[in-house]
Amino acid sequence: MSELLADDPEWADVVPIRQYENVNPIAPIFYSEEYKDATDYFRGVLKTGEMSPRVLQLTERIIRMNPAHYTAWQHRYKTVISLKIPLEEELELMNEIATTFLKTYQVWHHRRLLLTALTSIDAAARELEFLKTVLRADAKNYHTWSFRQWILAHFNDEERLWAGERAYIEDLLEQDVRNNSAWHHRFFVVFSSGIRLGDEDRDQMLRRELSFVKEKIALAPNNPSAWNYLRGALEHTNTPFSTLTTFVELYTTSQPPSRGRDEDVVDLDNPPPSAGAQLPAVAALEFLADIYEKEGGDASAKAVEIWKSLANEKDVIRKKYWEYRIRDALSKA
Amino acid sequence: MSLSRKGHASHSRRCLIGLPFSQVDIDSSRIALAFYCLGTLDILNSIEDQSSELDRETWREWLWEQHISGVYGTGFRPSPYVTPEDYKGEPSEYDLPHLVMTYTALLCLAILRDDFSQLDRPGILRFLGACQREDGSFSALPNGGESDLRMLYCAFAISDFLDDWSGIDVDAAIAYIQRCYSYEGGYGQTPSGEALGGTSYCAIASLQLAPDTPSSPRAGRLSGAQRLRTIRWLVQNQTAEGGFCGRTCKLADACYCFWCGAALSILGAGDLVDKRALADFLEKCQFKYGGLSKAPGERPDPYHTYLSLAILAILPSDHGDDESWKLPRLNALWNATEETAAWAREHIPAKARAS
Repeated sequence: MSELLADDPEWADVVPIRQYENVNPIAPIFYSEEYKDATDYFRGVLKTGEMSPRVLQLTERIIRMNPAHYTAWQHRYKTVISLKIPLEEELELMNEIATTFLKTYQVWHHRRLLLTALTSIDAAARELEFLKTVLRADAKNYHTWSFRQWILAHFNDEERLWAGERAYIEDLLEQDVRNNSAWHHRFFVVFSSGIRLGDEDRDQMLRRELSFVKEKIALAPNNPSAWNYLRGALEHTNTPFSTLTTFVELYTTSQPPSRGRDEDVVDLDNPPPSAGAQLPAVAALEFLADIYEKEGGDASAKAVEIWKSLANEKDVIRKKYWEYRIRDALSKA
Repeated sequence: MSLSRKGHASHSRRCLIGLPFSQVDIDSSRIALAFYCLGTLDILNSIEDQSSELDRETWREWLWEQHISGVYGTGFRPSPYVTPEDYKGEPSEYDLPHLVMTYTALLCLAILRDDFSQLDRPGILRFLGACQREDGSFSALPNGGESDLRMLYCAFAISDFLDDWSGIDVDAAIAYIQRCYSYEGGYGQTPSGEALGGTSYCAIASLQLAPDTPSSPRAGRLSGAQRLRTIRWLVQNQTAEGGFCGRTCKLADACYCFWCGAALSILGAGDLVDKRALADFLEKCQFKYGGLSKAPGERPDPYHTYLSLAILAILPSDHGDDESWKLPRLNALWNATEETAAWAREHIPAKARAS
């Protein structure tokens, strides 16, 4: 489809309509001939309300040049429905466009409309697989993740949809332990979207999550995504930070703990930092200071000491923030 | 190094004159682009030296041409990109006003010191109502489109410009904002979404903009713990390079310097930012022929140019005698210089006209 519709006999019966421009526009776009031609015919089609196979071709042509053209998307969807095109076929056809224009919202909105109309768990399950291929190209794409969360919540099928999510997240974190979208998705699946099948025992679920995140922290102690997840999990379940003091203290000293003779006795609840980790970890110091602040009394002074070292030495870009924490704590004392 | 004021002003001026076809996707959000360009000129106090009286008059005229009405009320469309040549002022069902365009059009007109005598105020209020969904959120268009915190912020800002909140259900919208709060302390774009700098700004600004309601007094909208967690997350997003990232563990980007920095400023915590490091990062984002890019070494665009200058205006740092960094004060809630905001306050509300 590289030649102009104006030269195509198949379009001879449609009257193209040029774009309205009355006064001098702000920031006009210097359209290509091909784009002008396609959108002129599109305005012609909108005027007559035509919904036909050639309109599907025309809208696709426009979308490929301008994926943000939401009227082309809207009219395409109407046409798909009106022609009773099998929706799976349309989804399939749009796979390549979705992968090419994954940063464009309209791409995902169109798929959402199609899936909503399909009302099929099979289609939803296939879509989750398709999204994995998209996320391989861009593992943190915001639209794609939102869309994945929408599918899970909308179709809400434990065995066919939710059940595979944790393993998938673990794969992604294996590849990049700092993928915050994957951490966020785990929080969504495990904590904020209801109770998953098999997670009815909430204490057991929390133990599993804490052990998971501690292992990831051991692997990369300076990873804010993992620490934020840990904090989130504790706050969500009203678990005091102080229950993790032993673990956190392994990360607040500059020397990795000596393994000594009891090297084989690995404390599963408190995995030590991996060899070569940069210590102390700022996030661990912050966490320990939070424990001391909460404890109050004599411990407050220890919190202040930590904040001072963060402000003056270990995290100087946030100097003003740590000084504010000191002021805030002293004003409450 | 200095802030290349001239370069940034002429970059904006060039974009206002026209854009290459490679940016055709801007067509469906052209007024927003116009705002970034005009906003840049406004912050640099260059509107008058970069445009003639005639330019400004035609720009105003063009903006008013996008002010359209239908059964849904009145708002601004992005551009006439679906409007047929024989248009006589009766938009088709496909030619619709857009919330972000309406918000940015009002700002553009205020920057151009329009008298707003053409504004259909009751129509705008109806349009806001038509965009509000049952879950309290707002969609971009009266018949659908993106529905998220960005649109909600625009509806709130427009209500505040008009000084009339009767078009929308404020309580339902505030409940929606709360559902976007994430365990990290920031706000996602939609409920249960990953914490994101841009939408956190939208949430925090909106909570501050909305007037007290019987069930939601302003002071009670953020619990102490919630606010502290938000501040912590925002501050954590300042990276070693001095710029801010928009999500945990991502790279610094000039636009997030604004979204995170302005959010902190609204929370009364702007002083917690390392402002000098922030300015140093943005200085490196300057493109040699003008404009700022999202990160050092990238291509500039009006969006990153405007937002970089806006945060430098909100969180100025000490550059000694170097006058180039001196920028006017900016209203962080509306995203307008104080002078432009004062003009808007004086000319947009119906009450202002009556008095």
